[in-house]
Amino acid sequence: MDTHEHIVTSYEEELSSLNNRIAKMGGLAEQVVGQSIDALEGRDPDLAGLTIQQDEVIDELEKEIEEQAIVMIARRQPMAYDLRQIMAALRISTDLERIGDLGKNIAKRALAVVGEQQPKQLMLGLKHMGELALGQLKEVLDAYIERDADRALKVWYKDEEIDAMYNSLFRELLTYMMEDPRNIGLCTHLLFGAKNIERIGDHATNIAETVYFLVHGSAITDQRPKGDNTSSTPVPIRSAG
Amino acid sequence: MTLANQAGMTVAKEGTNMTVAIHTDIKEPSAVEGTAGLEEKVSVRHLNFYYGEFRALADNNVNLYKNKVTAFIGPSGCGKSTLLRILNRIYDLYPNQRAEGEVMLDGENILSPRQDVNLLRAKVGMVFQKPTPFPMTIYDNIAFGVRLYEQMPKAELDGRVEDALRRGALWDEVKDKLDASGLSLSGGQQQRLCIARTVAIRPEVILLDEPCSALDPISTAKIEELIDVLKNDYTIAIVTHNMQQAARTSDFTAFMYLGELVEYGDTTQIFTNPKLERTQDYITGRFG
Repeated sequence: MDTHEHIVTSYEEELSSLNNRIAKMGGLAEQVVGQSIDALEGRDPDLAGLTIQQDEVIDELEKEIEEQAIVMIARRQPMAYDLRQIMAALRISTDLERIGDLGKNIAKRALAVVGEQQPKQLMLGLKHMGELALGQLKEVLDAYIERDADRALKVWYKDEEIDAMYNSLFRELLTYMMEDPRNIGLCTHLLFGAKNIERIGDHATNIAETVYFLVHGSAITDQRPKGDNTSSTPVPIRSAG
Repeated sequence: MTLANQAGMTVAKEGTNMTVAIHTDIKEPSAVEGTAGLEEKVSVRHLNFYYGEFRALADNNVNLYKNKVTAFIGPSGCGKSTLLRILNRIYDLYPNQRAEGEVMLDGENILSPRQDVNLLRAKVGMVFQKPTPFPMTIYDNIAFGVRLYEQMPKAELDGRVEDALRRGALWDEVKDKLDASGLSLSGGQQQRLCIARTVAIRPEVILLDEPCSALDPISTAKIEELIDVLKNDYTIAIVTHNMQQAARTSDFTAFMYLGELVEYGDTTQIFTNPKLERTQDYITGRFG
């Protein structure tokens, strides 16, 4: 979307600095998510430790963005598209902060399962799911930078795929646990890891909604297809022996 | 893609002058969202206004709804005050100024030569940018206008003065000094005195031409509170350069540019999601 520049240069600069902070935060969130999945897959405690530390920078940026937004609302009394830009920055920074936390949580689980034998098939599924979520995150951040509502809308529809993968991983993990109770520890961590990735996907769709609102000034009216039905999936318990 | 393009509307081209329509999607103001079921107190149709040869307003169409506040915004010289001045035919006092088109007040065209302008100005009161108290006592400032239109016993007149000063949110501050000169009041009090003076004549429509531009924030807040209260009984039009004030006080907003009404709509919509890029540029302070 092209808009004319503000007559007041410093206002223009503040908006672009807010934009840059979101871009920086987004880049870091991508990094944290990518590394945490690598650390889990490669059982790499060093990478996991580094990732946990990086999340602090994301938290710090969220505070900065919030402060800047409050000051801008107080001093500039933004209207129309400017107001939407500031509200969008606030909302997106909250989503990115949560994404960082979820990444950090995956990294912590990577530390917890370092010594364990991991079934290849499961790890592959988890990694693939992670890549899908990361792709969604990258795409929606590009849509934000480009102010491209159509691109954001595609991300919004695509979240269903992550949900579907989560469903199948959920069943697979259940099977492993039922086969051998010694798998339960590892599989529980992996299950939470998968859930975290699924939620990262949800936050990406939140950001997509925000980008749509930023561009059009209205919410997406369509119904999003929802694929995560694990909450209502019964778990069959077989008695041992 | 621009906002205007998304809305499927035409956008002004650079160098557009007044003789070319900038935007014409408001030929029928009552089609605006949120106006259904409201009573049209004033309806302006195909209004043109000339200062001599100069066309200051071009084909304006807008409504003022009963018990609603309509704000007029736009850069200096866009015709906001001109439009307001037509609504009580103040322009009649000046030579070489003429209006064409229709301005219906309760279904009667006030531009008609048969219109009694004194009666019209009693129905449509006006408050100006600079407070204009008469050089007389506070009491007489209010009573003066009432005496012009009505004869009544002293006791009743006292009641009218008190009522007007209360409606002007000034009574508590002046009740012990009604004999003091209106000019002895502060700027904010003088402006409320002028509003009280307008209200005393029991108008139906109140026109406010930048009523707060010379006032401090406290006086401004008092006037804005007053607007909120007064709209229960009157139809109000306000011209303001303060975007926040327009956003805070009005129900509907009309954005004017070079004598044209560019966009007219629900105030919330205009200030959060204007349809046209030109409106957006103006309210957000961008180069247009």
